[in-house]
Amino acid sequence: MVTVSSVVCPVCGCLCDDLEVEIENGRIIAVRNACSVGEAKFLNYWKHRNKPMVRKNGELIEVSIDEAIRKAAEILAEAKYPILYGWSSTTCEAIKVGLELAEELGGVIDNTATVCHGPSLLAIQDVGYPGFTLGQSRHRFDLVIYWGSNPWSAHFRDLDRYSAFSEGRFQISAWRRAFAKVYARIAAKKMNAASKRTAAKYAVSPPFGSELVDTLLREDRKLVVVDVRRTATAFKADYFLQVKPNKDFELLQAFRVLVKDGELDVDEVAGVPVELMEEVVDVMINCRVGVLYFGVGLTMSKGKIRNIEAAINLTKELNARTKFHILPMRGHYNVTGANVVFAWTTGFPYAVDFSHGYPYYNPGETSVVDILCRGETDASLVIASDPVANFPKKAVKEMVSNPLIAIDPAPTPTTLMADVVIPAAYAGIEAPGTAYRMDHVPISLRKVVEPPPGCIPDEVIVKRILNEVRRLRRG
Amino acid sequence: MEIIILKPKREFKVPIFAECITPDILAGKTLSEIEKLPVIEGGKETNLCELFQIEGKTGSSPNDTKIKLVGDFSKVRCIGSEMTDGEIIVEGNAGLRLGEKMRGGRITVHGNAGSWLGTMMVNGEIEVFGDAGHYIGSSYRGAREGMRSGTIKVHGSAGSEIGNFMRGGTIIIDGCVDIFAGIHMQGGEILIRGDSAGRIGAFMRGGKIVLCGYTPSVLPSFTIEELRPKVKIAGERIEETFYLFIGDHADEGNGKLFISKDRNPHLKHYERFL
Amino acid sequence: MSKALLIKNGIVYDPLNGIDGERMDIAVKNGVIVEDVSGKDIEVIDASGMIVMPGGVDIHAHIAGSEVDAGRLLRPEDHIKDVEPKTPYTRSGVGYSVPSTWTTGYRYVRMGYTTVMNPSMPPLEARHTHEELNDTPIIDKATYPLLGDSWFVLEFLSRDMIEECAAFVAWMIKATKGYAIKLVNPGGLETWGFGGNVESIDDQVPYFNITPREIIRGLCKVNKLLNLPHTIHVHTNNLGKPGNYLTAIRTMDCVKDLADGERAIHVTHCQFSSFKGVDWATMESGADAIARYVNMHDHVTIDMGQVIFTDTTTMTADGPFQYGLHLLTGNKWVNHDVETETSSGIVPFRYRPKSIVHAVQWCIGLELALLIKEPWKVFVSTDHPNGGPFFKYPDVISWLMSEKARKTVMKKMRKAALKRTTLPSIDREYTFYEVAIATRAGPAKALGLENKGHLGVGAIADIAIYAINPENVNPSRDYKLIRNAFSRAAYTIKSGEIVVKDGKVVGYAQGKTYWVDVEISDEAMETIKMLGEVFKQYYTVEFENYPIPEDYLAASHRIPRKSGI
Repeated sequence: MVTVSSVVCPVCGCLCDDLEVEIENGRIIAVRNACSVGEAKFLNYWKHRNKPMVRKNGELIEVSIDEAIRKAAEILAEAKYPILYGWSSTTCEAIKVGLELAEELGGVIDNTATVCHGPSLLAIQDVGYPGFTLGQSRHRFDLVIYWGSNPWSAHFRDLDRYSAFSEGRFQISAWRRAFAKVYARIAAKKMNAASKRTAAKYAVSPPFGSELVDTLLREDRKLVVVDVRRTATAFKADYFLQVKPNKDFELLQAFRVLVKDGELDVDEVAGVPVELMEEVVDVMINCRVGVLYFGVGLTMSKGKIRNIEAAINLTKELNARTKFHILPMRGHYNVTGANVVFAWTTGFPYAVDFSHGYPYYNPGETSVVDILCRGETDASLVIASDPVANFPKKAVKEMVSNPLIAIDPAPTPTTLMADVVIPAAYAGIEAPGTAYRMDHVPISLRKVVEPPPGCIPDEVIVKRILNEVRRLRRG
Repeated sequence: MEIIILKPKREFKVPIFAECITPDILAGKTLSEIEKLPVIEGGKETNLCELFQIEGKTGSSPNDTKIKLVGDFSKVRCIGSEMTDGEIIVEGNAGLRLGEKMRGGRITVHGNAGSWLGTMMVNGEIEVFGDAGHYIGSSYRGAREGMRSGTIKVHGSAGSEIGNFMRGGTIIIDGCVDIFAGIHMQGGEILIRGDSAGRIGAFMRGGKIVLCGYTPSVLPSFTIEELRPKVKIAGERIEETFYLFIGDHADEGNGKLFISKDRNPHLKHYERFL
Repeated sequence: MSKALLIKNGIVYDPLNGIDGERMDIAVKNGVIVEDVSGKDIEVIDASGMIVMPGGVDIHAHIAGSEVDAGRLLRPEDHIKDVEPKTPYTRSGVGYSVPSTWTTGYRYVRMGYTTVMNPSMPPLEARHTHEELNDTPIIDKATYPLLGDSWFVLEFLSRDMIEECAAFVAWMIKATKGYAIKLVNPGGLETWGFGGNVESIDDQVPYFNITPREIIRGLCKVNKLLNLPHTIHVHTNNLGKPGNYLTAIRTMDCVKDLADGERAIHVTHCQFSSFKGVDWATMESGADAIARYVNMHDHVTIDMGQVIFTDTTTMTADGPFQYGLHLLTGNKWVNHDVETETSSGIVPFRYRPKSIVHAVQWCIGLELALLIKEPWKVFVSTDHPNGGPFFKYPDVISWLMSEKARKTVMKKMRKAALKRTTLPSIDREYTFYEVAIATRAGPAKALGLENKGHLGVGAIADIAIYAINPENVNPSRDYKLIRNAFSRAAYTIKSGEIVVKDGKVVGYAQGKTYWVDVEISDEAMETIKMLGEVFKQYYTVEFENYPIPEDYLAASHRIPRKSGI
């Protein structure tokens, strides 16, 4: 049995790199330090693996990997406007080759930001982005706001590894605060009871109110949650603002006015009373360093990119009063990497069209969901993602009506609908490579076990398809 | 006036990038030269005659060149790109980015138009008899250079974020609009005769928007200024009562938002500030 | 690579070997300059009537890494105005102020540049810099890790533990595959972690019991102990603030006693640190004071940081400065505070000739180059893209060589601006020899790159040939010809391969990433091992995952050094 430490978890944007993995007979049998989702991946990766397949007469038939790659290349070389989609659960090295393939084909390449944090990227392009790496959160931030994001259920280790419940050089954990709060409440209850007795006995002024609880709590770090429902994270928060669904934009704009000492003509915004808003604004202005983490609650509710724009503007404006940051909670473990590699190769982070021989970018025009809904493509390659399960119905219908190539370690709805299936090795478990954490820190994924026979790294698969396409097109 | 007529030879699947379909490029060319003009289909370069049946002739200059596009042009993008003069008539639907960076001349669409109609327009006239998409008269991503002057008229309805970063000129929508009409507006005028889905004038710094129809709410970062018995916009005078809101205060804006009083009884509570 | 090349009859400028416009043949074999070549398979380039120089060396240009990529992401509108379609030899891309990596490499070699130094690498994100450098074709490159605000450095130096600090810095340079020690607003970036800044080199950095002066001196000592090929590379405190010329002079002066007769400090993009005045209304050029200091002291080198009148993108590790620029312009602003180490900021910026401040800035860069007498002390740069895009270097060369060219630009400026600088009264014009120093030989020497920046036997065959004949051309009058010639090299040869002909990329060579491997004693290694525990407290990545293995680099060029620890 072998133990490997400092293993990087290839699941979510937290990209935790402190996992310990035990291997026996070439298989992982135990994992330490991972959350339940990470653990599940490391213990079950070897089950339900794909084989190379090509659809013949309506049926997916197992073939050699060479034949599958050849068929994939034929489909792409013949297509006039193919789309290459996914790229977020694989390595940067594979993405680099994918971009080269898209340029060779003159098609469109897009990554999962297009259905997730694309709006965040678009907002950044309009207004910028005061950001940081996660260690800053641990060390300095004494106000943490989660808006439209529920790390307790989606980025499991975020809170205790990087955020409100972590311990840093200048900050102690909010867990201590949570305990302190409980003790303070007990103490306040005792004091209130005592003072009632005293008041009754000696007819003195009324007992202490909730101010006592607050003054007893001299802890710095505060947690604020803004969401449409009371999430698991909200239960741990000092302030929870329940915002009416699809009204986040209004609430953010109203916050901006209050932060600049302006006045509102209304009593409540998006279901939140203005008095509560004013209290939260006070907390924001008086913090030492604050952060606004946000998730799909903002990017995919009404307003999308403009919700993010308002949130970024709010953060920028808070920097005039104190120090404030913002960060999107990225989902896939390397979607940030996809944006980064796309940007250095083409100048643009996603939705890149190579029809004219150079990169062109216009989300809404060059993003794959829109292209599919307009019925404008004639072939797709999907890698490291599952659009058949996630995309709007109209887009899925269009996608499966054209030739579809799927590259994935395991069967998914996308692979089941594909015309060519190519089995990949799991990046971060069976293949090494670079991935970028949601705060843009690059970390090297490790290979800890060998892939099953016939499964090869994404980078190699895409490279072989590229070589075959070149051979077909250039002769 | 000379007219040149283009008809699609077949149904298009992948997008056609037709930056060459403008009076500026077609003027002064023989039919044979026009047929050979390069156009991109998907990712492959081809010739105009491969895709379109072409008849007629163009004038010697853009000014006396009239282009008629007959059929379904909904997959044909960038028609009228950067044109300075002349006329384009689309008898059918037109694709994305119609009249992009237009500097003059006139485009008429007797069907629907796609998104990015008149994006980055410098001057000129566009009239769409059907519906239009999103981002009419807008800027490109990351830039603040929306429509500078000129007129865009849509007789049907339009999508969201029309007039994004608009600097001048006029947009008139006879039908309804989706959210964020006049977003980031810096100058110019927008007239909406139908309803809006909301969030009019978000991030607005200047300019004037008139809504004759219904809107579910006004952004909290706008304040009520006064009631106006009538309003002048786009050369018209509308004799109706309007609420005048100023905003967007979140951006230190001084834009003017006129909202119909009759069609928005739920906004009556603002009157207590008057 | 095994090809033999003979460049015949060119007019050679090779300042490191004292060659000033001599007609000579240059022979190349196996990627290296040799005495001569013989045999059959020799490719001959007829360089008659053309200038032959070593390939250009850029000592400071932001071309790769997290800060640059954030700039690329920020500015799609900058990209679409300058696209590069693919060709049989080149990948496609986008240009202007934040080009994509492929385009960056191609545009440099088109100008005859063959070596570029990326100056700002946050060590935690070093992998990003190297991934991008791997995708920057043809040119040789290196990068400087930002160390001036690293918690470990601050703590060691505040306790005067110079040797331990040196061990840590040696480990860092190797772990991040870096080349030199970079300081940006030392002390200021840590203070920015809480939203503040330092205002003089003697301000205390909160929580760390140290001043910028101590950081600069400490790292200067470390640099000497480690025997690094370059000096410390410093972006001064108070960058871009009226009156900051005093900070620049104090910065240069504070390490004077450590020089030992050698160079001790390189002040980068010095233009931005050469302002007199107390506010923007009274801002004027402090270039004469800086030049006077540099003329009197031999321990300093600088690069210009020349401004170009265009729409560009500012990006530096100086987070607080960039925030200030955002407040000044209202433009979109990206900030990125890197834990335990550094920060960065990006703001688009347009320099206008009619702006008095911008005009003075334009003048300052040139004043510095023209008033500093010793050409080995001052190098051409625009601090790309902060002052302007790097492919405008030929404009800078034309301004250095021609007073008339300068006057043409100054005509667009307000008289009030011209009163605040001495440039109108300067008539000095650079010679080709001096241009060769400022763009090749000088930077190569300051960087300690022994086999670059010259055309002597043994040098790497990085050669630029420009279609301009010094015997027929009067650069002072014909500055447009100069500009055009330097924009499109007649030939660029990289490691013996012809990669550019007539300003077009026609070939490929594998550019290498240079990095320094300082040998340290076992005892010093012990210090590093002990840091492991504290490392876990400070960083959010594991100690084992921090260093980059050598094979991460597409083509590694390791430079071993022996140190004093």
